[in-house]
Amino acid sequence: MEQELFKNIWWVLALPVFGFLIQAFTGKIIIDNLGAKIGRRVMGALAVLPIVLSFGLASQITIALAKLPEEGRTQILTLFEWITVGNLSIPFELRVDALSMTMVLIITGIGSLIHLYATGYMAEEPDFPRFFTYLNLFVAAMLILVLGNNLALLFVGWEGVGVCSYLLIGFWYKDKANSFASNKAFIVNRVGDWGLTLGMFTLAFMAAIALGKDGVEPRWLSYDVLLPNAAAIASRFDPWMLTAACILLFIGAMGKSAQFPLYIWLPDAMAGPTPVSALIHAATMVTSGVFLLNRMSPFFALSPTAGAVVAIFGAITALLGALIAFGQTDIKKVLAFSTVSQLGYMFIACGVGAYWVGLFHVATHAFFKALLFLGSGAVIHAMSHNQDMRNYGKLLKYLPITGSTMLVGWMAIAGLPFLSGAFSKEEILINANGSPLTWYNIPIGTAVFWVALIVAGLTALYMSRMTYMTFFSGQERWRLIPAHGHADHHDEHHHDVHHEDNAHDDHHGPDVHNFFYTDAEMEARALATPYEHHHDLDENHEPHEVPPSMYIPLIALAFMSIIGGGWLFFGVNLSGWLHSAGVVVHEHGHHYSPMEFVKHSFENWIFYAATGMFLFGIGYGWFRYGKSLPEHDGMDTSKWHGWRKAAANHFGIDNAFTQGSIKGGSLLGQLSWGFDRIIVDGIVNATGLISKELGKLISGAQNGYVRSYALIMQLGIAALIIYFMYQMYTVSGGGN
Amino acid sequence: MGNITLTILIPLVGMILLFFVPERYTKAIKWLTILFTGSAFIASLGVLALFNSNTFHFQHIESAPWIPAWGIQYKVGIDGISIWLFLLTTLLTLLAAVFSFYIEKRPRIYFAMMLLLEAAMLGVFVSLDMILFYSFFEATLIPMAIMIFVWGGSNRNYAAIKFFLYTFAASIFMLLGMIALAKQHEKIAGVMTFDITAIQTMVASGEFWANTGNLQTLVFWAFTVALLVKCPMFPFHTWLPDAHTEAPTAGSVILAGVLLKMGTYGLLRFSLPLFPEAAQQAVLPIMVLAVIGIIYGAIVAAVQPDVKKLVAYSSVAHMGFVVFGIFSLNQAGMMGGAFQQLAHGISTGALFLMIGLIYERTHTRQFKDYGGLKAQMPVFSALFLLVMLSSVGLPGMNGFVGEFLALYGGFMTAASGNYGLSIIFPIIAGIGVILAAAYLLHMFRQVFYGPLNPQLAKLKDLKPWEVGLVSVFVIFIFWGGLYPNTFLKPMEKSINAVRMMTINEPGKRPSWSNPNHEMDELGNLVTVNNRNADGNVDSSSGVTEVAKAQFYAPK
Repeated sequence: MEQELFKNIWWVLALPVFGFLIQAFTGKIIIDNLGAKIGRRVMGALAVLPIVLSFGLASQITIALAKLPEEGRTQILTLFEWITVGNLSIPFELRVDALSMTMVLIITGIGSLIHLYATGYMAEEPDFPRFFTYLNLFVAAMLILVLGNNLALLFVGWEGVGVCSYLLIGFWYKDKANSFASNKAFIVNRVGDWGLTLGMFTLAFMAAIALGKDGVEPRWLSYDVLLPNAAAIASRFDPWMLTAACILLFIGAMGKSAQFPLYIWLPDAMAGPTPVSALIHAATMVTSGVFLLNRMSPFFALSPTAGAVVAIFGAITALLGALIAFGQTDIKKVLAFSTVSQLGYMFIACGVGAYWVGLFHVATHAFFKALLFLGSGAVIHAMSHNQDMRNYGKLLKYLPITGSTMLVGWMAIAGLPFLSGAFSKEEILINANGSPLTWYNIPIGTAVFWVALIVAGLTALYMSRMTYMTFFSGQERWRLIPAHGHADHHDEHHHDVHHEDNAHDDHHGPDVHNFFYTDAEMEARALATPYEHHHDLDENHEPHEVPPSMYIPLIALAFMSIIGGGWLFFGVNLSGWLHSAGVVVHEHGHHYSPMEFVKHSFENWIFYAATGMFLFGIGYGWFRYGKSLPEHDGMDTSKWHGWRKAAANHFGIDNAFTQGSIKGGSLLGQLSWGFDRIIVDGIVNATGLISKELGKLISGAQNGYVRSYALIMQLGIAALIIYFMYQMYTVSGGGN
Repeated sequence: MGNITLTILIPLVGMILLFFVPERYTKAIKWLTILFTGSAFIASLGVLALFNSNTFHFQHIESAPWIPAWGIQYKVGIDGISIWLFLLTTLLTLLAAVFSFYIEKRPRIYFAMMLLLEAAMLGVFVSLDMILFYSFFEATLIPMAIMIFVWGGSNRNYAAIKFFLYTFAASIFMLLGMIALAKQHEKIAGVMTFDITAIQTMVASGEFWANTGNLQTLVFWAFTVALLVKCPMFPFHTWLPDAHTEAPTAGSVILAGVLLKMGTYGLLRFSLPLFPEAAQQAVLPIMVLAVIGIIYGAIVAAVQPDVKKLVAYSSVAHMGFVVFGIFSLNQAGMMGGAFQQLAHGISTGALFLMIGLIYERTHTRQFKDYGGLKAQMPVFSALFLLVMLSSVGLPGMNGFVGEFLALYGGFMTAASGNYGLSIIFPIIAGIGVILAAAYLLHMFRQVFYGPLNPQLAKLKDLKPWEVGLVSVFVIFIFWGGLYPNTFLKPMEKSINAVRMMTINEPGKRPSWSNPNHEMDELGNLVTVNNRNADGNVDSSSGVTEVAKAQFYAPK
């Protein structure tokens, strides 16, 4: 009976797919028929419902899974043969185990809340169903990523979420900057995917050599073939093979999870609507890399070098993201770099071998960072879509619910003891400090521990900066922006319409194929296009609290941000839970009761160090930002300190990579194209030309182009035939 | 008359009938063409329905003497390598004919050329006689060149002549190679023949190339260069961008969709099975060209100001993956290369078709004349997005399966250190996948994103029949991506057999004309004593293993 329940896992995946199809094919029709207001409500409900149902079913399955004995907690459901060739077989198979279900619950749970929030946030959006089409598809792709039982299916989800991310970043595509950001996200991710592909090929090669023989099903990418045989596969080869495979997989993780130097797409990705930032670019998609490392931990655990690389890149990313956050004035950009930094934290955990702690931080980070992003969306919503924190201040008065929930999120990420963030962060610090990981005699574990501790302080500080600038800091600074009339906007709008009028009339004949709108239809279209009222933020603006559809998710996430860490640690016993899914866990089975844990904490100096960092951050933050906006961080960027200007500019890293690759790439492209036209094609044309001139020489200048060609070709062919025949002749024995 | 001959004859009959319809009855000409291309498609479905996936041998063989004195005959048959290309041809021609309702200029000759082209292309994929193959191969040139020459763009003279002469000149070498093969056969067996099954059988036993010095290498390159020009492979590709840019839309669809595949098909049909030793020696240089083509095509594509040229150069890159897969001589790789032929035919065919749809409206292909189309034509942009993503190689769409398997196969061969390949080959080829995203997204952004170009403000979205036309492509894009086994299974035995014909030593190679040879489920070569009435192996009467598949043992 329980087996039947596990078979239902495909419904968890199918529901968002149905949602996606409904949005894609009926959304526009329903909204056109029911009118914008009711239509959007209906479509919003139809978008949220599949995700909620999926979450409900996934919870039921997870509970059933937890009741099974530990060794039986891996259920595989094969749906059909996807790609089958003789030496490689990739079924479409889903894997239900503790790791995949943990991710499924995060995706559908937080996904439901964010979908609900988005129905409010996007309520005025004319392209409403397109948004939810992408968002439902994203959830489906993310579920394939975590539920697939082989690396190829993971890759399907991996690129699928990449495409949804691309589409959602460029959702407001009329703005060129957004379309550049979306392209950048996809292409940088593809660099990572290149590594991931080669990594999985390496593993498949190793598995095929180590395990392959006649009669063995060649599922070389399936987890149930790879993971239990990790040691056997690795021992068949030089250690560098495994290290190479792991580092290649990690390159894939670097792309998706925004690790240095492939982090550069994530800040630009904030161009997407805020629910997207919360769901995709904070809570779920960007944590895929951590999931991958957890899934492949039996291999990573065998390669200390790969672990060191992961830890080092994680530490660099954590530090870099935290530093750059200080230079950001856009509230979403602060959160974006915070995400980069926290992702680095997760990789520190994975690098030092505490894979489950990495996933622990994925979960707690999903709670508080989704909360902070959604909260920032509510603030932005209330502030006429102005995202510059320097224009905020004292907003707690106007936005009590948003404000207070965001304060909870702030406390959680900054590390108030026994809130969710503090739990996972402290586990990371403890594991890094205790890690025996060394590389060429450098104690990597200790080194990344100190970096992580510093980053903890920086995190508390920049999050305090953001919080104080937004909700406190003495002054309602948007009151300083002078109001101006809306007349010029109106003019611009009409200007566009007039401009459109005489298109196509000049260079086309009558429209026989009915390709174009008539003038009358154009008028009707212009009228039907809703005039978008858009206020800029100015002194007359009065911020308002957001509707319930938006604050209910905030409250739910705030609740999880408070208790989530403790619940996962004590209630779920996450380390033991993930161990049952094959994640490598050192010293598992060591399960604290809450009281023991508190006692243990107070005996550990790392607890005091982390708490000290927390107090430093909020205290020093209050000192700098609590009462007013300091000049060195104000509107006039010329008064900024040099290091803050550099941080605002990502220390030049983004520019170097982005401009370097665009400029270098287009130069290389132009050079190659020139080479193609002048050299490669030049030789072809020269051959033609010489033939032509020769033809003239032989048969008189009056001959036509083609005839000369033909003649000279005949001569050439004759010569070749003679050569060939001669070859044949000699080979066949010279006429004997 | 068998189904194959029937399928080839239908378009020919249609072409002849067209000449009895006066030019002014444009509608009748168009519907007649649809009728005949549609019938050819149905006839090809008949061939598919009778196709047996359990054998690598040629099926539905038909033969008739042609010039007996020289051993030339009309001999056609179909196997796993040609079956899908045969169907791709009839499908794409039908769809191209539907699109060509927009053709106003001299429709009678236009559609006659299209039908002639279809017959010739079909002939190429089923010929078992080399002279017959050559005749069909060259016969495709004339209608295609005429289509470019009459209905092409502003620089069509140059493009048509270049297309014709370049590919014609290259295939002369192939003709010489064919004569050499026939002569060699005469030397050994006493009679000339151009029948590839007969020649391959002697190659399989090893007697064909015994004591011939470097003749095998010479003839191999005579064939291969002609076929690589057709693919087209760097550095023989420069005819393609010109031909594509100048060709009318239907011409581009067929050119990209089918004509290029004649090259890669020829590699599988001739270059590998007939010249095993030479092919193995040639793996390294050809893989070098394939990798260069993948990267170079992508880089040059990225800077094109013309959307059609961009797609043309992308074909150079994508066909590089086909050759990369085929010459990996790994089973997954060869399957991937063969599959990628179909995937490229569908997705690039669709791209050219959609570019044609918008070109009919705007009469421009320059990126600078576009921008912001997504809001103006949402259905068109959604369909274009899907087709573009399949060309990017997104998993779940057909472009992924071929590229993934081709890279996988190349990786396996290179990691095993076979044929002198280094692991750097798949690593660099993989960069082509990144670049594909770069130039295709760049294309999409320039056409569809950003503010609307005011010149386009009056454009209506696609008409229902146009949406239907593109949807056919989209269906195959997802079919190929989600359930590729439909297409992989019928190819598997023939691809396995060709692989063994190439990599095994004499005596352990499958033979096309030995009915007792068969490939078993594990990919091993076996001899069978009996077959059932349906041609399948009767395993009760004894099966002997001749050669192992050798999927895993590094060489």
